[in-house]
Amino acid sequence: MTDLLANLGLGFAVALSLQNVTLCFLGCLVGTLIGVLPGVGPIATIAMLLPITFGLDPVGALIMLAGIYYGAQYGGSTTAILVNIPGEATSVVTTLDGHQMARQGRAGVALGIAAIGSFFAGTVATLLIAALGAPLTRLALIFGPAEYFALMVMGLAFAVVLAHGSVLKAVAMILVGILLAAVGTDLETGQERMTFGLAFLTDGIDFSVLAMGLFGVAEILRNLDQTETREIARARIGRLLPSLADLRQAAPATLRGTAIGAILGILPGNGAVLGPFAAYTVEKRLARDPSRFGRGAIEGVAGPESANNAGAQTAFIPLLTLGIPPNAVMALMVGAMTIHGIVPGPGVMTKNPNLFWGMIASMWIGNLMLLVINLPLVGIWVRLLKVPYRLMFPAILMFCAIGIYSINSLPTDVMLIAAFGVFGYGLIKFGFEPAPMLLGFVLGKLMEEYLRRALTLSRGDALVFLERPVSAVLFLVAFTILAAALLPSLRRGRDAVFTEA
Amino acid sequence: MSDASVGARRTMARVRAPQSFVAGIVLVLLGIFGIWAASDLPRGTLGSMGPGMLPHWVAICVAICGSVLVVTGLLRDGAGLQSFGLRGPLTVVLAILAFALTIRPFAFGSFATPGLGLVVAGPLAVVIGGYATPEARFRELLILALLLTAGCMLLFGDLLNLPIPIFPTALIEAASGRIPSRTLLRLGAGGLALMGLALLALQRRSTRRSRTDVAPHAMMT
Repeated sequence: MTDLLANLGLGFAVALSLQNVTLCFLGCLVGTLIGVLPGVGPIATIAMLLPITFGLDPVGALIMLAGIYYGAQYGGSTTAILVNIPGEATSVVTTLDGHQMARQGRAGVALGIAAIGSFFAGTVATLLIAALGAPLTRLALIFGPAEYFALMVMGLAFAVVLAHGSVLKAVAMILVGILLAAVGTDLETGQERMTFGLAFLTDGIDFSVLAMGLFGVAEILRNLDQTETREIARARIGRLLPSLADLRQAAPATLRGTAIGAILGILPGNGAVLGPFAAYTVEKRLARDPSRFGRGAIEGVAGPESANNAGAQTAFIPLLTLGIPPNAVMALMVGAMTIHGIVPGPGVMTKNPNLFWGMIASMWIGNLMLLVINLPLVGIWVRLLKVPYRLMFPAILMFCAIGIYSINSLPTDVMLIAAFGVFGYGLIKFGFEPAPMLLGFVLGKLMEEYLRRALTLSRGDALVFLERPVSAVLFLVAFTILAAALLPSLRRGRDAVFTEA
Repeated sequence: MSDASVGARRTMARVRAPQSFVAGIVLVLLGIFGIWAASDLPRGTLGSMGPGMLPHWVAICVAICGSVLVVTGLLRDGAGLQSFGLRGPLTVVLAILAFALTIRPFAFGSFATPGLGLVVAGPLAVVIGGYATPEARFRELLILALLLTAGCMLLFGDLLNLPIPIFPTALIEAASGRIPSRTLLRLGAGGLALMGLALLALQRRSTRRSRTDVAPHAMMT
């Protein structure tokens, strides 16, 4: 306990330096600014803004990126409430009751409760990360290659179960992702794989390029297909601070949402995405009068928003302790860390305690800042949202191009986002979800590396994964949840979580 | 009606979930392509995996997933094919290509594009990209392009110092030694912003004067 306090103290000392507070503030502000744009979620926002952190020292850069991440999340919720367009998957649920509240002239209260719920969830999640950081890091040290491989297989199994729609399509997407990750020079033998002699493929496909194509450009193409039906809440924003009665009504939902989101966020494999859906379903089930949901129930905003933010933060746990990015956003963080020469994993906490604890402390500061800066700035976001899409998307397109070009100074990267954009558009049209593919891509290289190592150590005996107890348990979990997802009765339950929302 | 279309309709009648069916075929093709692309790589043994091992087996699994999708598409009812827009994807791809080819010198074989920098690439991307929607209006896009580019020049070039080429290489060479690059950048951005603002002012005046073109103003609402 004293350790925890000492560590958090160190973290706050780092995070509260003038430079880092400024960076955190700027990150939150810019992140919200871009995240508010309809159709631009956190993944595209971070990929776009990654280059602006290149000139900073590692601690400052990661603090700013984390700020951008929370800002983008919160910006997405703002858009969901005010315009009924979710910026990304996790704020889909917020549109349901949040936008209804906005239409009843309670947009301010909806935004306020979202901010307060997020802040509370963020505080709890920060403490959780600080508490779990050290023990999980110790756990990571006893993990061998076989355990790491098993853990990633389990993560992918979760990703399949947590994805919307067909299980088979999700599996296929993960495999395509792994296949794409194999493009480029093989790390162990130095041999070029599937590059077709193209020089720009020698280093493989950059993750941010793939993410930007699938989540930035493809999203623009998808939005262009739909004739614009943006209904910005015409009514007044109203007061921002919820009344005592509102707070009393929202408090239990916030608590439950935080717990659900925090637990799901730790799971490797896009767990954070399910949080808001699960929280919404729970609130609806527990409500005395479920018919209020979808008509502006405040619990329908408070629960999912808390879950969203809690999950967004606890997703850092697998990354910082085990070095495994559990979702696409965390994979972008890996990219940012490697640029600054930091290898994510159990070593971060011991080798760079400043960075580790500073980043954790800055998470709490970032959440506080969102609360402080966003409520007064709502008016600006509303005006920004009134810009018609025909002017907004060319701007987004240009930011995407500049952002991607700045990462490696390669025109071919810019061309690739166009290719992946069209590919992603096709995926959406054929009912595939791009998120599992991105996760497969992220984990693909790591998985191959650990698989090779594990098999080399066992001299080619594949049974090693079942002989080592930890890896056997992880495989068992993976197998069970996959089997469960395929069982008709459970599958209906899973579909219900998504459709009800 | 020709025989071919009758035949096509007959197969369509048998396909009960066209979306899964076509998606499955695409996956099968992708899998076969993967198997072919990895075929020249040594696979090695389990004890020492070669570079071809993982791609080979993953590609096979992709093909298997695809075939299962094809079969379910024949057996179970499901979603139909969605309509594709052509204008959007084509224009957006064109805009991104224009940006990629003009931002810095790019060579394919013996042919090379001149590096024109952000000052040209940015507006090109915005104006071309803007035509992805039928609602595009040239003057509006031009104003947006000029103002955005000026902003980006100041933000990325001046404030953040990113290594992104701002001006055409020819201009930079001509100005080197005579004008400091920072001053040039600020002058350029100021010029673009002024042009944009002047156009904006002109447009406002003309819409006020003539009632024939009273399209609702985006930026003013």
